[in-house]
Amino acid sequence: MMRRKRMLEHLDEDIREHLDRETQDNIDRGMSPEDAHYAAQRKFGNVARIKEQTHAVWSIVWLEQFLQDLRFGARTLWRSPGLTVAAISAIALGVGINVGIFSVLNGMALRLLPVPRAQEIISVNQIFHFHGQGNRSTHNNSGWFSYSEYLEYRDHNDVFSGVVAYEPYLEATLADGDVRQILGTAASCNYFDVLTEHPAQGRGFVDSDCATAGAHAVVVVSDELWRGRFAADPSLVGKKIVLNRTAYTVVGIARPEFTGTEPIPSTFWVPVTMQEALEPGQNRLADDNMSWLAMLGRTRPGVTMEEIRANLGVIAGRIDQRHPGRTTSLAIHTATFFSSPEEREFLIPVASVILAAFALVLLIACANVTNLLLARAAVRQREIALRLSLGAGRGRLVRQLLTESLLLSLAGGALGSVVALWSFIRVTRFVVNHLPHDVPPYALNVAPNLHVLVYALLLTLFAGVAFGLAPALRSSRPDLNSSMQGASTSYKRSGRWLLNTLVGSQVAVCMVLLVSAGLLLRGLYYAQTVDPGFAIKGVATTFLDLGKQGYDQPHATQFMMRFRERLRGLPGVVEVAQAESAPLSHDFFENHFTLPGHADQLGIEYNHVSPTYFLLTDIPIVRGRNFTAEEKHDAPGIIVTESTARRLWPGQDPLGKTLGESSGREHVVIGVAKDAQVSHLGQRDASYLYFPAGPEDDSPSYVLVRYATGFGDVAKSIRAAARSIDPNVSIDVTRLEDYLEVWRAPSRIVTGISGTLGILALLLCSIGVYGMVSYSVNRSVREIGIRMALGASKAEVMRHVLWQALRPVLIGGTVGVVLCGVVSGVLSSMMFGLGAHDPIAFVSVPLFLLAVASVATFIPARRAMQVDPIAALRCE
Amino acid sequence: MSTEKQKERIELLQGTLDLLILRTLQLGPLHGHAIAKAIEFRSDDVLQVEQGSLYPALHRLIKRGWISVAEGTSENNRRAKFYGLTAKGKRQLTVETSKWEKLAGAIAQVLRPAGQEER
Repeated sequence: MMRRKRMLEHLDEDIREHLDRETQDNIDRGMSPEDAHYAAQRKFGNVARIKEQTHAVWSIVWLEQFLQDLRFGARTLWRSPGLTVAAISAIALGVGINVGIFSVLNGMALRLLPVPRAQEIISVNQIFHFHGQGNRSTHNNSGWFSYSEYLEYRDHNDVFSGVVAYEPYLEATLADGDVRQILGTAASCNYFDVLTEHPAQGRGFVDSDCATAGAHAVVVVSDELWRGRFAADPSLVGKKIVLNRTAYTVVGIARPEFTGTEPIPSTFWVPVTMQEALEPGQNRLADDNMSWLAMLGRTRPGVTMEEIRANLGVIAGRIDQRHPGRTTSLAIHTATFFSSPEEREFLIPVASVILAAFALVLLIACANVTNLLLARAAVRQREIALRLSLGAGRGRLVRQLLTESLLLSLAGGALGSVVALWSFIRVTRFVVNHLPHDVPPYALNVAPNLHVLVYALLLTLFAGVAFGLAPALRSSRPDLNSSMQGASTSYKRSGRWLLNTLVGSQVAVCMVLLVSAGLLLRGLYYAQTVDPGFAIKGVATTFLDLGKQGYDQPHATQFMMRFRERLRGLPGVVEVAQAESAPLSHDFFENHFTLPGHADQLGIEYNHVSPTYFLLTDIPIVRGRNFTAEEKHDAPGIIVTESTARRLWPGQDPLGKTLGESSGREHVVIGVAKDAQVSHLGQRDASYLYFPAGPEDDSPSYVLVRYATGFGDVAKSIRAAARSIDPNVSIDVTRLEDYLEVWRAPSRIVTGISGTLGILALLLCSIGVYGMVSYSVNRSVREIGIRMALGASKAEVMRHVLWQALRPVLIGGTVGVVLCGVVSGVLSSMMFGLGAHDPIAFVSVPLFLLAVASVATFIPARRAMQVDPIAALRCE
Repeated sequence: MSTEKQKERIELLQGTLDLLILRTLQLGPLHGHAIAKAIEFRSDDVLQVEQGSLYPALHRLIKRGWISVAEGTSENNRRAKFYGLTAKGKRQLTVETSKWEKLAGAIAQVLRPAGQEER
């Protein structure tokens, strides 16, 4: 660019010099000065053109043309504000919802940890492969590390400047007036240093805090806990707080932005060596074969991912030597909130389905804009034909038309993204603040970052090309002759084909979204009205995890016996039952059993229950007997469900049959209970076993209470009963019915999303059909005029126009229904309560869509009937 | 100028002007007007260069790096820009010349009167 300016600077001067010389030569040859001057100019040629050509040598042609196109495009769009506003809104809508949902997914899965220089933090997970014999115990996540494994990696790697390990989701009871369970983290003592996360007040941990197990009771509390529970007490650092019956000295208060390294915020951090103090009876530190510590490393500068994999792989191999029959591979990723292999396996397919559904709406929006542009291209045909016949290249013309559509999509994309990002931040905050009380808060940051911006830009460019290419290609090859003559209103086969395809695919995509929404709505309806097969109303559930509140087992049993005793004596309480897991509580227990004489192991879910459980839940014992109060864990009797009995002993009497456990213990069937959906809502006939409950089930323990009065009073007296035994105990009391909500929540959320998408799709699609019909009516005014002049009745014209318009709708709709057959198969495997071929959804939705399309067609078609044949023919 | 003479003048083929400029500059740097004069003179006025078209061509050659430009003073003490061949330009001249000779030879071959072939 600089060179260009320098080279052209003296061009005028050079040319003048040249002309002067030539003039002088001519004078020397004897011409009069005037003649000499003109002769020189004649010989030189057109000065302006020469200058222009010289400038062209130095200009970057495509850039200048691009700017030209941009200016021209902007002017063109400005001149047709109706079309511009319509197109921009459609694109804004399509891009906006896509960017919005992406920002949510990004906040969940792609965003780096909230610590300084987070791109250096690497998450390491183990994947074990056992050859023959081998086992591994897991607490929280099977890919995590034992303490000794962590030390091995920390002390022998050459790629990290520091490695931290932590156990998240530690429940603790904070004894402080109002007793409450809080979630915290046991972390290695370099945790704050390696993450370079310095507490806002006080200090993080120092190495001496981890020197001896159980000796250094220090704690860093979160900003939220500090403000919420200690009223932002400025002198909290140095004071003592009691967590699970142990007093800890507060040494620091974290920054407000730091909520830990897991998606669910941590409210406190203690040294990992304090683990047993928080979880009495469970010494995880000493267990070399337990996965319980998540591990993060900060890379040294200049170290590549390959070097990290190679270096840590060597250490993994060394650890494997101590565990014969086991090989370990490592999953190593830049750390996000979801970087473990299990989480990624779950999240990636779900995210893909969601993004695909949203992308469909964008496609419909693009089809709409294509329609609009095609309609306008018809109007501009004369202009384009003129430019083509004056020698404009087709490529140049396509480029110019594409620039216009990119201009449209950029405007729409920018508008949509800004609105979406602004509103999604608020919507997410609202949703997170209004979650049901038993759902843990989730540290979801949906603020846009580079990922979101790149995604928005790519979507926008894609949209611009997607809706702009077809109209640009089509309108740049008109039949010059007929266009110039003004016969542009004649119908062309290819044009109609393109339009019909557009409308057809729009209808098909819309149909897929709507039928999916219909299926999900039906599933939701089913979920709301399903009878789980046991008495769910009028039951309160209490959950106590005394083990996590510092109780050992004998004390827990003592507590629970007194507690249940008091509950039975409460006014309004009808029945009290104990269970290892409450019905539909999402606590599942499964074990492997064998039939005598068979080798194969059967995985069957089970529950430990007191005899009153069956009375309270109204699950009848259809054969044999119930447990007695004296039967505990060591009693041999078990109760099976009808389906289990049918499955294990078809056609035989199940009573007295035996079932072996992998430990070698034998159980005898003493009773058969009626089937009920106590474990998974929607699974009517899954195998299920009941064992008698015993002291082992007292921590943690569910107690079910059937009441005859109101829930509020009962809940209050249940809490009071627990506090009267131990004022520091934390207890959870809910309605049993509320567990149904948890099962229904996913389908409710998905139904909400897909319903919204379906409505948007329907809206866009009806606009599309309407636009297509009005466009073709406008184009065939002359044809209609001729038909009417030749004596066609209005009804015939109407029929003709309707048929032309509805044919692609019908074809697209049929394709859509077929596609839905496939989609619903996938959906029904993912969601509870969906029938794959729900007739109501499959019949009502297409009819509804057809009705909407008919209305959208009818309005412009009626206009066609009012065409005055004389005027139509004369307008040519 | 008589019409007779005009008929003998030949419009230049695309790209030929570049070759002529390069050939002209082989003898040493010249300013724009001198290049035009030299081409006319050496072709006995048969090749009619529209003198202005020299300038886009010169700039094109500068951009390609085949010629360079320097400030200087002309024979009558006037400031002028002198254009000279670069090393790259010299190589290009050989390439272009041989290309042109091949082309000219081939065309001459085609245009040879039919009788000559049989003789």
